[in-house]
Amino acid sequence: MMLPVRQAFLIAYSTGILWLRRNPSSLFFSAISPFSLLFVLFVISNGQYSQFAIAGSLVMALVGYGLALGQDISFYKTEYKIQDVFVASPVSPLTYMMGLALSELLFGLPALTVLAALVVYFGASVFNIPLIIATILLLWSSMSAMGFFLSSHMLHMRNATQVISFVNVILAVLPPVFYPIANLPDSLRYLSYAVPTTHASLMLQHSMGLPTPAEWSLGFGYAVQIAYLVGFVVLAKTKAIWRET
Amino acid sequence: MLAIDSERLTKRYKGSSIAALNDVSIKVESARIFTLLGRNGAGKTTFVRMAATQLMPTFGSISVLGYDAVRQAKQVRQLISVVPQEGRPLRALTPWDHVYNWLQIRGEDKKIAKEKTEDILQKLELMQFRDRPAMNLSGGMKQKILVAMALAVDAKLLFLDEPTIGLDPVSRRQVWAAIKDWKAKGGSILLTTHYMDEAEILSDQIAIIDKGSVVAEGTIHDLRKIIPQNTRIDVAKDGLDIDMLKSYGSVVDTGAGTLRVFTFESSIRELSELALKRNLPFTVSPVTLDDVFVYLVGNLESGGQRA
Repeated sequence: MMLPVRQAFLIAYSTGILWLRRNPSSLFFSAISPFSLLFVLFVISNGQYSQFAIAGSLVMALVGYGLALGQDISFYKTEYKIQDVFVASPVSPLTYMMGLALSELLFGLPALTVLAALVVYFGASVFNIPLIIATILLLWSSMSAMGFFLSSHMLHMRNATQVISFVNVILAVLPPVFYPIANLPDSLRYLSYAVPTTHASLMLQHSMGLPTPAEWSLGFGYAVQIAYLVGFVVLAKTKAIWRET
Repeated sequence: MLAIDSERLTKRYKGSSIAALNDVSIKVESARIFTLLGRNGAGKTTFVRMAATQLMPTFGSISVLGYDAVRQAKQVRQLISVVPQEGRPLRALTPWDHVYNWLQIRGEDKKIAKEKTEDILQKLELMQFRDRPAMNLSGGMKQKILVAMALAVDAKLLFLDEPTIGLDPVSRRQVWAAIKDWKAKGGSILLTTHYMDEAEILSDQIAIIDKGSVVAEGTIHDLRKIIPQNTRIDVAKDGLDIDMLKSYGSVVDTGAGTLRVFTFESSIRELSELALKRNLPFTVSPVTLDDVFVYLVGNLESGGQRA
């Protein structure tokens, strides 16, 4: 196996699998939180909003697990100083990021699997499973890269937590992630197309057979998501602080 | 080839008007242990972090094992290993997990990683705790895990930033032995420490840093010569005339209620009688590295000052 890939898996194994093996309850706790909003929306809408709530919860979970990487990185950097050991070694920042992102994915796997299964149960055909998986991978990757970039600029753990909570609201609450994009006035609707999570939610809504706007297409959604992924990875590679200045 | 060669290395942190490190030129020879001694905030860690490619310098140059540490960081990182200051192992991971996985991450195959892990855990007496998560280990054991990770790696240059902090005397000696073993294999080491005994036992060369600048450099023998006298007498401060004491040699206020007089053996009797007459406690001992350190940098906020 190529060394960077092996390194990434070993980092994920050390920080994810070994942790979970010794603290299995944390899997339960990290799996529960994405269902809280889904539960509330399901109850208050008498199930009418279930599909939007499922799409929104899946997107919000992906944003959360991706950005949680930023919190982990801040923790390893400022509290454990273990990042210093990685910096002064042949491990590249992107490999380190991938390793920790995979680790976060492990924590999120049960919730993501259940939410993806609900997407299929609530109307997506099995033929749309590749679309659902692609949406999950694109959003998780771009959010992880963004989490890495943001956390590398944070000097204190508390800053990282605050900034990440703020970004979470910007990406997963305000845009049409939990609600139909048609509810927005035209100007805000076009603005929301600049946000990657809008497209992720629309792709999931589309897979469940919900109506999507005429001006939007799957190709458009993919293009924006891929553009964000490339942009955030480039940002993480070139502008994230690995060696301090 | 030099292990480290810095020229006028300077670091000024953003928002600070004072340089954390100022014009520091140091040459560390290969297969040697070079120690940076200094008070808290003197600039030791700043130097280590710049040499270990963790921190960018503001000015000056630094090469590590022949590579420019700024422009050729990738090459440098293949050849070094570090113990960061105040580092902590991951809570859920055992000593074995830390060392074995780290060696594999550094590119060792499983068989060699296993052998090296066993070897270093034995040396540092961590083997009996090999499967205990770090969260259930003492502070000293946790520190030894980080040392084990660094020493197990097949690097050419080791950066040890206060590696024995928090360790009991026995554990410190285990770490010293492991460091000496590592050097015997031809490795170079840059060490920082507050412990004078550690510096005396391990160092081939020492630089004393104060307020970001090197104030003295040399072997222990060279540094001891900074104080011309070979003996010291610590005497309670009360009631003694400093000017009178100065006639016997150099006088330093230790800041702990005593004056330290550096003098020659010929004056010991006279000074002892003086203290006895006034019923003042005193101690006599040869000049140590600790004295040189206090003599050079002991005039700071602790109250110690050249009297």
